[in-house]
Amino acid sequence: MFDIIGKRRWFYAFSLLITIPGLIFILLTPLSGGKAGLQFSIDFTGGTVWEIHFKDGTPTTAQVQEIMAEQGLPGVAAITTAGDRDYVLIRTIQIGLAEFPATPSPLPSITPAASGSPGASGSPGASGTPGASGTPGASASATPAPSATPSPTPSASPSPQPSASASAGVSPSPSVAPSPSPTANPIGLPTEGRLADLRFALEDAFGPIDEVRQEASIGPIISAELAQQAVLLFVLGSIGILGWMTFRFADFRMGMTALVALVHDIIVVVGVFAILGTVSGLQIDALFVTAMLTVIGFSVHDTIVVFDRVRENRIRHAGEPFAAIVNHSLLQTVGRSLNTSLTTIMVLTALLLFGADSIRSFVLAMVIGIISGTYSSIFNASALLVTWHEWSEERRQREFAAVRTR
Amino acid sequence: MRRFLPLVIIAVGLAAIAIDFAPLDRPFSDPAVKIDTRLGLDLQGGLRGEYRALPANGVGVSTDGLANIRTIIENRINQFGVAEPIVQTQGSDRIVVEIPGVTNEQEVRALIGSTGRLDFVEVPPARASSVVPGQPIPADLAVIFSGDKVKSAAPGFTDAGLRAVNLTLTDEGARLFDQYAAAHYGEQFAIVLDNIVESAPVIRATRFGGQAQISGSFTSQAEVNQLVTVLNYGALPNAIEEVSFSKISPTLGLNFLQQSLLAGAIGIALVFVFMLLHYRLPGVVACIALIYYALVVYAIFRLVPVTLTLAGVAAFVLSVGMAVDANILIFERTKEELRSGKTLVSAIEAGFNRAWNSIFDSNMSSIITASILFYFGSATIRGFALVLIIGVLMSMFTAVTLSRQMLRLVVHQPWARKAAYYGVAEDEFTVATPIARARGAREASARV
Repeated sequence: MFDIIGKRRWFYAFSLLITIPGLIFILLTPLSGGKAGLQFSIDFTGGTVWEIHFKDGTPTTAQVQEIMAEQGLPGVAAITTAGDRDYVLIRTIQIGLAEFPATPSPLPSITPAASGSPGASGSPGASGTPGASGTPGASASATPAPSATPSPTPSASPSPQPSASASAGVSPSPSVAPSPSPTANPIGLPTEGRLADLRFALEDAFGPIDEVRQEASIGPIISAELAQQAVLLFVLGSIGILGWMTFRFADFRMGMTALVALVHDIIVVVGVFAILGTVSGLQIDALFVTAMLTVIGFSVHDTIVVFDRVRENRIRHAGEPFAAIVNHSLLQTVGRSLNTSLTTIMVLTALLLFGADSIRSFVLAMVIGIISGTYSSIFNASALLVTWHEWSEERRQREFAAVRTR
Repeated sequence: MRRFLPLVIIAVGLAAIAIDFAPLDRPFSDPAVKIDTRLGLDLQGGLRGEYRALPANGVGVSTDGLANIRTIIENRINQFGVAEPIVQTQGSDRIVVEIPGVTNEQEVRALIGSTGRLDFVEVPPARASSVVPGQPIPADLAVIFSGDKVKSAAPGFTDAGLRAVNLTLTDEGARLFDQYAAAHYGEQFAIVLDNIVESAPVIRATRFGGQAQISGSFTSQAEVNQLVTVLNYGALPNAIEEVSFSKISPTLGLNFLQQSLLAGAIGIALVFVFMLLHYRLPGVVACIALIYYALVVYAIFRLVPVTLTLAGVAAFVLSVGMAVDANILIFERTKEELRSGKTLVSAIEAGFNRAWNSIFDSNMSSIITASILFYFGSATIRGFALVLIIGVLMSMFTAVTLSRQMLRLVVHQPWARKAAYYGVAEDEFTVATPIARARGAREASARV
C-alpha cells in the first residue's frame, strides 16, 4: 500500500518549494514599486482602456506611444486582433471619465445674471437636447387653476404666440444637433476632455477612427474600493470555510488544516500570477478576486471528501493508528478526488483555449487554484491533520508521564 | 414521496423545456412581457456608468435623495428612447446606469451628469421668437425665480378635458410669480431646464396665488409626465460624479458570446466523453442528468431573470463541470460498495446515502463563498456569484433526484445487470440474491 502520510515531510517540502518563489515575487510587488511582481489592471489602479480601429491601416505601438507621450499620457499601447481586424489597445491613466460642471448648490439664487451662463457654457446640457425636442408647450398657456378659463387652446393666444410656435414647428431637432459636434458621431468618439485630445492627435497622425471596440475608465474611488473588497472577501471567505468545516466535522483541527491547505492554494495562484506578471506582464483584475473566492470554495471540496472518509473510517477502524486510518482514507478517495477535479479542469481548459480574451486570466487563476487545491487536499490537509494529531498525542503522553512520575 | 418524485422530475423538466424554448409570457407581468434570456452589457454591447452622489453642504445623500436622483436619471435616459435601460442604486451613494447597445454615448453621459438647473425665465414679447422649446434659452433673459420655488407638479386636465400640468408654487414662488404675471399679462414665460427651454406658456391671468395650470399643446400623456418630472425633479438634490465608465461595442459583445458558447460546448462535450468512457452505464445516466440540469438552470436564468454576463457564462460552464462531481462521488462509492460484495441495488442506494455527506458539505462550502461574493461584491462579481449559487443548488437537486431515480429504474432491467456496465470485474459483481447479500455483509465486516 502506498504510504502518502509516511512521506508527508517530502510533500511539505514540495509545497514550500512551490510557494516560496511565488511569495518572493508577491513581496517584490511593493519592494519594486510595482515594476515587478503582481501587475494590477486598471480595476485596481484606476485608469482608462481604449480599444480602437483606424480606418486607414493600423499604426505600430511605438507610433501610438509617441503620440501618447506628446499628449503627456503615460501608459502602453498594444495591437489586438479579432477576425481580420487589427485594433489598437491603449492603456493609460484615468482620463476617460466625463467631467461634469461642479454645481453642487441645490438652491440656486434668483439673480437675473444667473439666467444663462454659470452651468451653461461648459454644460453638457446642450448636447442633451435632441431628446428634448419633443417637449410639450410649443404654445402652452398657463391659467390659474381656479379660474374657469374655457379651453385655453393655442389658437387663442395673442400675437407673439404664433411666431413662437411657428419657429418651433420648423423642426427643432436638426438645428439642435449641430451645436455639440458638427460632424456625425455615430460611434461615440469623445469630443471633449483629454481623451478627445488624444483622439484628435491620433486621427491627425493615422487617419480617422472608425470603430471603438471598448472603452473603460475606472476612477480612484472604485479602484480603492476593489482593493479593500478583495481583502474583505478573502478574510470572510476563509472564516466562512473554517467555520463550516469546524461545524460539520465537529473538529476544529479539520477546519484549521483545511484552511491551511486553502491558504496554500491562494499563495500558489497569486504567486504564479506574480511570476507571470513579472515575466509577461499578465495583469490581475476584478474577476481575479472572484476567481480567488471560487478557488477558496472549491479547494476544500476534495479535502471534505477525504475528511468525510476519515470520519467514517475512524468509527469503523477504531483502535488503529490515526496515520494509518488517514492514509487508508486517502487511498480510498484519491480516484474520485482526481476525477472531480479533472471534469472541472476539462471545462475550464476549454474556456481557457477557446473562450473570450477578457476572462482568460480569470479562468487561468481557477485552473491553477483547482490543481493546487486537489494537490493540497491530498498531500497537505490530511497530512497536517496527522501531524497535528500526533503532536497533541505526544503532548498528552508527556503530560501523562509527568503526572505519573510526580 | 418516492411515488411522486418521478412525476415531479418530469414536470420540472417539461416546464424547463417550455420556458427555454417556447415564447411564453412572464407570469404576473403587466403588460405582458415575453420570457427571454438577459444578456449582460459585455455580451450584447452597451455602456455602463457608475455615479456617486456628492455630499451637498457637507451632508451625505439620504436614501430618499438617492432614490430621487435615480428617478431623475432614469427619466433623463428615457428621453433617448433606448431599449431597456437599467438604473439602479447601489450602496449608500451610488447610481449604476446600464444602457444596452447605445451609440451616442457622449450625449447620454452628458445628460446623466448634468446637475439639472430649473429656472423660470422672463420672455419679453420682442424676444418671444427666440424662445423655442428644445432650444437653448438666450443667455441675456432674466430669471424670474428658480426650481426651488416649485412645491409640486402633477398631471391633470383642464375643465375642457385637455391634458394639463398642475403646478403648485411655494409662498415665495407664488409672490414672485404673481408680481411678474401682474405686469406681463398675455406674455410668455419660459420653463428652462439646464438652459434648454422645456415649455413656454402664455400667462393668462394676473393672479395665481401659487396655483397654476399649464395646458395647450400636449399631444401625449408622456409629454405631460415629462414636464411634471422636470418641474418636480428638474434639479438633482446632489451633484453627481462619474466614478467608472465602460463601453463595449456590440460586435465585441457578440464575439465574446460566440467564443464562450463554443468553449462551453467543447468543455461539456469533453466531460460527457469522460463520463461515458469511465463510468459506462452510470455515465450515461450522468450525461442525461447533466442535460436535464442545464435545461433547468437555463430556465431559471430566464425566469428569474438572471442577467448573463461573460463571467456568468463562465460560472455556468464551471457549474456544469462541478455538477458531475456529485455523480462521480456517488458512482465511485457505488463501485466501492459493489466490490465489497453488496448487490447492485443496495450498492447504488449505499452509494447515494454515503456520498451525500461529502456532496452536501462540499457544495455548501461553494455556496458560502459564492454568497459572500454575492453580498459584498460589485455588480460583475454578483452576476458570477448568483449563477454559481443557482448552479450548485440545482446540481445537488438533480444528483439526488434524477440520477438516483434513473439508476433505480435502470438496475431493475435485466439487460442492465452486467459487471462491465459498472466498471467492475465480473467476480466483484453480485445481482440480488440472499446468499450473495449475506456473503457481502460478512465480507464487509471482515474487512473492517
